[in-house]
Amino acid sequence: MPKERRRLRRAVTGWAFAAPFTVLFVVFSALPVVAALAMSLTDLRSTDLRNPFAVDFVGLDNYTRLVGDELFVKAAGNTLIFVVVGVPLTMAVALASATGLNSGLLRFKALFRVGFYLPAVTSIVAIAVIWRFLLDPEAGLLNNLLGLVGVDGPNWLGDTSTALPSLIVMSAWRNFGFLMIVFLAGLQGIPVDLYEAATIDGAGRWQQFRGITLPLLRPTLLFGAVVTGIGYLQLFEEPFVMTRGGPLSSTLSVSYHIYNQFGFGNYGYAAAASYVLFVAIVGLSVLQFRLLGTRGDS
Amino acid sequence: MTRHRRLATVVAIAAAMALAAGCGRDSGGEQDTAKAVGAGKATGEITVWAMGTEGEKLAEFAKGFTAENPDAKVTVTAVPWDAAHQKIAGAIAARQTPDVSMIGTTYQGEFAKTGALDPTPADLFAKDSYFPGAWDSTVVDGTAYGVPWYVETRGIYYRKDLAAKAGITAAPKTWDELKAMAKALQTKAGAKWGINLQPGKTGSWQSVMPFAWSNGATITDGDKFTFDSPAMTEALAYYQSFFTEKLAPTFLPEGQLEPDFVAGRIGAFMSGPWHVGILKDQGGAGFADKFTVAPMPVKQTGTSFIGGSNIAVFKDAKNRDSAWKFIQWLSKPDVQVKWYQTVSDLPAVQSAWTDPALSGDAILSTFGAQLKDAKAPPAIPTWEQVSAAFDSEVEKLAVAGQDPATTAKAIESKATAIGTGS
Amino acid sequence: MTRDRVARVALYAVLVLGLLVVVGPFLWMVLSSLKPEAEIRSVPPTWWPDTLTLGNYRDLFARLDFPRYFFNSALVAALVTAGNLLFCSALGYALAKLRFPGRRALFLVVLGMLMVPGMATFVPQFVLISNMGLANSYAGLVLPFLAGPFGVFLMRQFLLGIPDDLLEAARVDGAGEWRIFLRIVLPLCKPALATLAILTFLASWNNFLWPLVVATTEDKYTLPVALALYSVGQNQIYYGLLLAGAVVVVLPVLIVFLVLQRHFLRGIATTGLK
Repeated sequence: MPKERRRLRRAVTGWAFAAPFTVLFVVFSALPVVAALAMSLTDLRSTDLRNPFAVDFVGLDNYTRLVGDELFVKAAGNTLIFVVVGVPLTMAVALASATGLNSGLLRFKALFRVGFYLPAVTSIVAIAVIWRFLLDPEAGLLNNLLGLVGVDGPNWLGDTSTALPSLIVMSAWRNFGFLMIVFLAGLQGIPVDLYEAATIDGAGRWQQFRGITLPLLRPTLLFGAVVTGIGYLQLFEEPFVMTRGGPLSSTLSVSYHIYNQFGFGNYGYAAAASYVLFVAIVGLSVLQFRLLGTRGDS
Repeated sequence: MTRHRRLATVVAIAAAMALAAGCGRDSGGEQDTAKAVGAGKATGEITVWAMGTEGEKLAEFAKGFTAENPDAKVTVTAVPWDAAHQKIAGAIAARQTPDVSMIGTTYQGEFAKTGALDPTPADLFAKDSYFPGAWDSTVVDGTAYGVPWYVETRGIYYRKDLAAKAGITAAPKTWDELKAMAKALQTKAGAKWGINLQPGKTGSWQSVMPFAWSNGATITDGDKFTFDSPAMTEALAYYQSFFTEKLAPTFLPEGQLEPDFVAGRIGAFMSGPWHVGILKDQGGAGFADKFTVAPMPVKQTGTSFIGGSNIAVFKDAKNRDSAWKFIQWLSKPDVQVKWYQTVSDLPAVQSAWTDPALSGDAILSTFGAQLKDAKAPPAIPTWEQVSAAFDSEVEKLAVAGQDPATTAKAIESKATAIGTGS
Repeated sequence: MTRDRVARVALYAVLVLGLLVVVGPFLWMVLSSLKPEAEIRSVPPTWWPDTLTLGNYRDLFARLDFPRYFFNSALVAALVTAGNLLFCSALGYALAKLRFPGRRALFLVVLGMLMVPGMATFVPQFVLISNMGLANSYAGLVLPFLAGPFGVFLMRQFLLGIPDDLLEAARVDGAGEWRIFLRIVLPLCKPALATLAILTFLASWNNFLWPLVVATTEDKYTLPVALALYSVGQNQIYYGLLLAGAVVVVLPVLIVFLVLQRHFLRGIATTGLK
């Protein structure tokens, strides 16, 4: 009997802690998501806004149309490349800077922390102006520097083969600050004595990094990978402000395409595309959980 | 785990079924008829949404209206242009619209189709008092919704000092003369690019369609698209020739246009009235004498694009009659002139242009004359999407050298796939 | 000794270079907000203003009812941040350390929500809020964001790292779960809580689209919405106002960051752990 009561007590406690969040969540997040799913099964357009139920149920029609939509396919390809290259790049830079900032060698830590965080809070407009100038084929800093060593730099943002890579680098630059903060918090969670003990045992800095830091940082790394992956799969602002999806749709992302479709008023179609994106996000996250998760995660 | 999944599935199916049950479009819409507005003064509170600077200045400006209608009160909410479309769409969806709102000409078709706009009462407004292109932008399925409030159009800005240096003393009047001027600016006046024309990307249709319209091309004929025509192909070929003959750049970094024009690296470009202020600012003292604006060059006609903003009353308005009276006041020619003097918006009412404030300025008169021969795209709900397809094909034309006939056909087929939304 | 010195110099060099690269645009943004419009548009961009002017700020403050919009943004951001800190840590704790039926499913659903693209739910959310009569209200501005899945995920991952023995010891001592949560768990999570506070505050403060659509009268506008009023025109962008606005919007976020980032310096006390 006591076992039963303990189990009941534990269930009640657990749900008591979970309740406030869950209630708000169900009402304001879950319900709209279901509604959006329903929306994706209809041909709802913005012209139906006053009578949203007077629309035709079209089943999976929106989804099948996506496959034949050449812009959607192009956007999907672009986004995939962006994520596959961008996530590891951003994480590497973030981890490197977090480790650097956490190092005992450093003074003025606060200054660096704030500095590296700044791109995350700088207006995208300002970022766009500076980066567009940096990458300008003639007057830009990058090509002038390359010219010094005799290399003729391309038209970074105007050439279909270099536009996307340029945006990847820019996004890594912009987003590593936020990840750096998260990794710093994680690094702070590793007890210092472990490192002291390792140093006494004769382990070098790199060995300590691989043997202590990385394994203990795993939950945080997983968090970083999942969140960055989710963010990058929904890449929108950078192509929107820098290249408007061009040149010739080489930087068009899935989110940008969805945004355009919402803008055109094709609500049902856009909702379907959003759900496809959602499936992709879930897929990527599951993959990441498999690769980086520990026994504690589902 | 399974219990929750089952619950979620049930909810989803229930929602879908509810939708399917209450679902289905009814075929055939009813014609919207305009109801007359009674005589007498306006009363009560009139809620107005206006974008950007118009929103800022309208509250104060509306005091002229309340002076004549002391029982009325005008409450203006300023709305950012950025995402104004989303805001109005959201308000329509939630039935939380104000009495009056500015409606950008490109949103007109879509919002009218929602049924949220009130048809324009014929007893208060005369179609002929407005520029024809502007009035056409309010007409959806044969009914006018709202009226034009202010307009803008496009002309050819060019460096008249550099043109004089190249031996050209009069504005280019025909397509051949425009091309010749661009060439001369390059070869004889040291410009790197004779002219800047938008090489595709968002909004390039506003640069291409004037040439198409000037050659007699049309966008729609009833319910069908008519992009694929010899007139359109010829206009596209002309547009493309500027790029292939290296008269216009295929890539110009954003923000580069004005400095390059001031420095003489770009000899001419196509734009609207707002650039006058920007150029005077950037060029500094004395620059105003170095540039001027020419109307669109003539092929069969010299037709330009007309844009601007309309202003409309919502069906869910709480104070409909007074709202229309407010708009009527805004459309009075002398009020239109005063509004121009307040925010530099060009009047949509033709008779306002006889005022010396507008007829006295050379560049403004050019735009004013151009407004008489300017067209707007059809007010169809799918125009945003169709124009995006247009823009992407134009990009291929300008940057990747796609053949004009192929371009016209591609635009036609994409547009037909999208439909006119009727 | 020299190995350390070399490593230190190298580290500084890399970090300083990185810092310059990273701070550049921000610096340009601040400096350019003090330039007249024409100079901002000049190509190539200038760094130090040729003409130093406060005109953009004067223009901005004269045209906008700043105290009102600032208050709205601050109130909404504070409420959303406080709510998230409380609710997300509570649920994160429950998911990481308490056993109760359905916890795995709940975690998956919440995690799943994190993966839903925001655009898809926008219209249904707005219709829901309007039908609840919460349009143009603070409740409408705050409620949809109080239950942020991101916070739950962050707190759960962090809390997984707290050793169970610590909690068991407290339970054996007879402490109630709530007390354990408040007295033992929360103080241990200061870095994670600080992180969550910064990120939530930033997101809420910069939120543009939702407040734009929910507020139907200007007195409920938040700062980003108000700033967008005059900086983006129908056919052009007014860079001076835009950049001045961007600087003004950034300042509170930076202050919050500066205040909270001290908590990153706190390592976990060795007592109780190990």
